Amino acid sequence: MPNYLEVQLDDLLGRFAASGQVAAGSAAALTVAVAAGLAAMVARASRDSWEDAGGVAAQAISLQERAAWLIREDADAWQEAFAALGGTGERHTAQRNFELEQKLERAAAVPLEIGELGATVAELAALAGEFGEGPVRADAVAAAALAAGATRAVAHLVEVNLGVREGDKRLAQARASEQAALEAVERALESAR
Amino acid sequence: MGQPPALTDAELVQRCREGDPDAWAELVNRFSRYVYAVCVKGFRLGDEDAEDVFQEVFTRVYTRLDTLRDDAAVRPWIAQLTRRLCLDTLASGSREQPSDIELTPEQERTLEELDEAFDVREALAVLPEPCQEILDRFFARDQSYRTISAELDLPSGTIASRIARCLRKLRDELEGRSGPSEGSRE
Repeated sequence: MPNYLEVQLDDLLGRFAASGQVAAGSAAALTVAVAAGLAAMVARASRDSWEDAGGVAAQAISLQERAAWLIREDADAWQEAFAALGGTGERHTAQRNFELEQKLERAAAVPLEIGELGATVAELAALAGEFGEGPVRADAVAAAALAAGATRAVAHLVEVNLGVREGDKRLAQARASEQAALEAVERALESAR
Repeated sequence: MGQPPALTDAELVQRCREGDPDAWAELVNRFSRYVYAVCVKGFRLGDEDAEDVFQEVFTRVYTRLDTLRDDAAVRPWIAQLTRRLCLDTLASGSREQPSDIELTPEQERTLEELDEAFDVREALAVLPEPCQEILDRFFARDQSYRTISAELDLPSGTIASRIARCLRKLRDELEGRSGPSEGSRE
């Protein structure tokens, strides 16, 4: 399994296009990492006029590191689940079903984490959109929208990967992240008008 | 909340000089993780060697505290003692002299990071409790704004600004700390 922080961009994009390597959860984590980077950029560009800019940039960088780590976490979890779904072997069906369930649980847990992170990044980017300096504010609003898109994507993944129904607390968590991110984007857009 | 303010290094050393046993316990507690991390992560000593160095460091601190010229410089003094004893240990297992042993750039970087981490931990300890709490939750426990908001009963939209303000306090505390000091007369 490669370290996705060290691969070239064209290599990474090729992996997304290839079969069985990385999937949508990793793409969402990558999007969150990019959005966090934009929020950091806006904060750093606004140090002269925004007292909290340094602290916001530090938070954004920390969030970006977490998101980057989740790119690989999701790829690992997804590959394990993918392999288990295709596995046959001679093990007892009940045991195999149990193992498959465990792997699918993990494959859904990572997107949940990506969703939480996406909502946090959207909120931070919205703050940067409100207090950042004029020329870079639009980048912050775009960052909030990117992060919110990622939380929307992972809410769908959680729903599909687990086959969950309405009322499942994991789905509720994913949707709460999505809702928080969308509200942050609305605030960011409002402040930009 | 409600904890008494932590003693500065200089105040702690002064109390040790006066023979306060609680102060000795606090001094060991304050620096033990740092000393052990330098041994294990910085110099990559095995558990037994690290334990020997650990014991020797604090034995020397206990017996030679009177040689320390600047009470506030106890940490650089302990750092120096630890590094010297680690080099002695490495040399005893080879044919080299301690002065001949060269650390890899990675080890040097690790030692610098350990020093930085210790500085941050000390500065954090004197921040107001709410700041310690929120910084620990965000940076150490990787909690989201939503989780912090729910567990501390704070509006979610204020978390990022609160963290930023606490980081400013932390930076002020780190910048306000004294620079390198003289260490001991050894």
